[in-house]
Amino acid sequence: MTAENVELVCPAGTPAALKAAVDAGADCVYVGFRDETNARNFPGLNFSRPELADGIAYAHERGTKVLVAINTFPRAGKPEIWHQAVDDAARLKADAVIVADVGLCAYAAKTHPDLRLHLSVQASASSPEAIRFYHQAFNIQRAVLPRVLTVPEIAALAADVPVEMEVFVFGGLGVMAEGRCALSSYATGLSPNMNGVCSPASHVRYVERGEKVVSELGGFTINTFGAGEPAGYPTLCKGRFEANGKLSYLFEEPTSLNTLAMLPELIKAGVTGFKIEGRQRGRAYVGAVVKAFRQAVDAIRRGEAPPDIDLDNITEGGRQTAGAYERSWR
Amino acid sequence: MQNPRAAQPSRPVDPPFSPVLLAGIALAPVPPRLLQPLFDAILSVVRRRHPGILERLADYPDSVVGIDPVDLPFVLVLEPHPQMPTLTVHRDFSDVAATAFIRGPLEMLFALSEGRIDGDAAFFSRQLVIEGDTEVVLALRNAIDGAGINLEDDFAATLGPLARPLRHFASVGGRLFNLLSRDMDMVRRSLIGTALRGTDAQSSRISELETELASIRRTLRNREHRA
Repeated sequence: MTAENVELVCPAGTPAALKAAVDAGADCVYVGFRDETNARNFPGLNFSRPELADGIAYAHERGTKVLVAINTFPRAGKPEIWHQAVDDAARLKADAVIVADVGLCAYAAKTHPDLRLHLSVQASASSPEAIRFYHQAFNIQRAVLPRVLTVPEIAALAADVPVEMEVFVFGGLGVMAEGRCALSSYATGLSPNMNGVCSPASHVRYVERGEKVVSELGGFTINTFGAGEPAGYPTLCKGRFEANGKLSYLFEEPTSLNTLAMLPELIKAGVTGFKIEGRQRGRAYVGAVVKAFRQAVDAIRRGEAPPDIDLDNITEGGRQTAGAYERSWR
Repeated sequence: MQNPRAAQPSRPVDPPFSPVLLAGIALAPVPPRLLQPLFDAILSVVRRRHPGILERLADYPDSVVGIDPVDLPFVLVLEPHPQMPTLTVHRDFSDVAATAFIRGPLEMLFALSEGRIDGDAAFFSRQLVIEGDTEVVLALRNAIDGAGINLEDDFAATLGPLARPLRHFASVGGRLFNLLSRDMDMVRRSLIGTALRGTDAQSSRISELETELASIRRTLRNREHRA
């Protein structure tokens, strides 16, 4: 893989964010419909069919691809809205759909054989056997890898499968097995996998107590942030709990993935798609992060090191990590 | 839901020392009803230019959102009913049954409405406070951010031949605001500069110690792992 072939795959939760991503230099923008067919089914977010048609036209006029995430798991016996989402994405000339469910992969491959399929991170396919299966059975062209692999593991995988590799390079980071996490379901009855919402806002409360702010999810206290302490998302995996008499982040601290400095290694490992997380974020975030990564990829193409760009002010908890790519905790 | 903070005199966000704060002090004697036409005009222009906002808020017709610009002596109440939205000015929330509250400095609230800053980042940094029904606040944030509001362009588009003077006025006003902000920041630093330097030094030392502690923990874990 060379730097010339890599694509910046950028998030957009609204038409304005799509324009921000395209204008900042995205190669691809990924979006979702305004319903539970995608894993960012948040209030006020996502695209109606006419908005997506307009968004695709705007992107295509500027040489940018649009990918539609249909990456939740259809309810048993009620796959209609998921099928409709695939049909509409194909009709509106999306460049690919990002799918996770085996049944939906089969539906898309059979009904729209010319529609390009990307395997969502929600499928949690991290072995050559799993990825080869999706390719052979449904002609999946690209796999988005779970955020659990090191760079050498990604390189080994890329050399062993006949599809393109896409990895997350920036944004929110979870420690869960993607597509199989039940923490949100436990606390709220709603999950990213079935309903498209992790820690749904309807179950979140922030309570100001003097200088502190307490975050609650479904009645559970998730965290208490002291005066001036940066806050994080109210997800159970990033909660601060007391265990054995000690208060700590049991699973993961509020922090954002940032691999800006690692992009050359990832290219060398055979990665094609650099995915930026954050369809739930505003257009200011989208514009800033896409611009930074565009500059980095362009610098690498010129044979230079990626520039050190400060993205601290838009990260969760004001902190950044290279996550599993480095596994610095080992 | 009855306003949980109506009776509390303190606000969880300290107003920044800025020209808006001075303007707020000057505006304190002005009855809110005299400011109402301005906010009626803003709502009317935004509604006409960005109908998608109310469409995205269609699931929350009965919500009442209290918006508290902490550096001004009045608050706003938004009722995003699809057919009859209102944005009203009040002295405080004492007679308002709001379902959610958003609090922050005026400049930040404007920047958020125009998508110039990211709402999550403002919340992470604790400069923005939300309380009550988080769902309607998130829907409002997404609806407004997704609309691509630019208040200067939006007003200019509705003013026809008056657009040019408006832009000139906005440009001059923006420059004056920036100059005044800079001067006030200088005054602020002159008054509390010594204390700030001490805090900066402490923050830097804490950061060093955190790095050192993380390194020690890693070493210990590795030793335990090997043992």
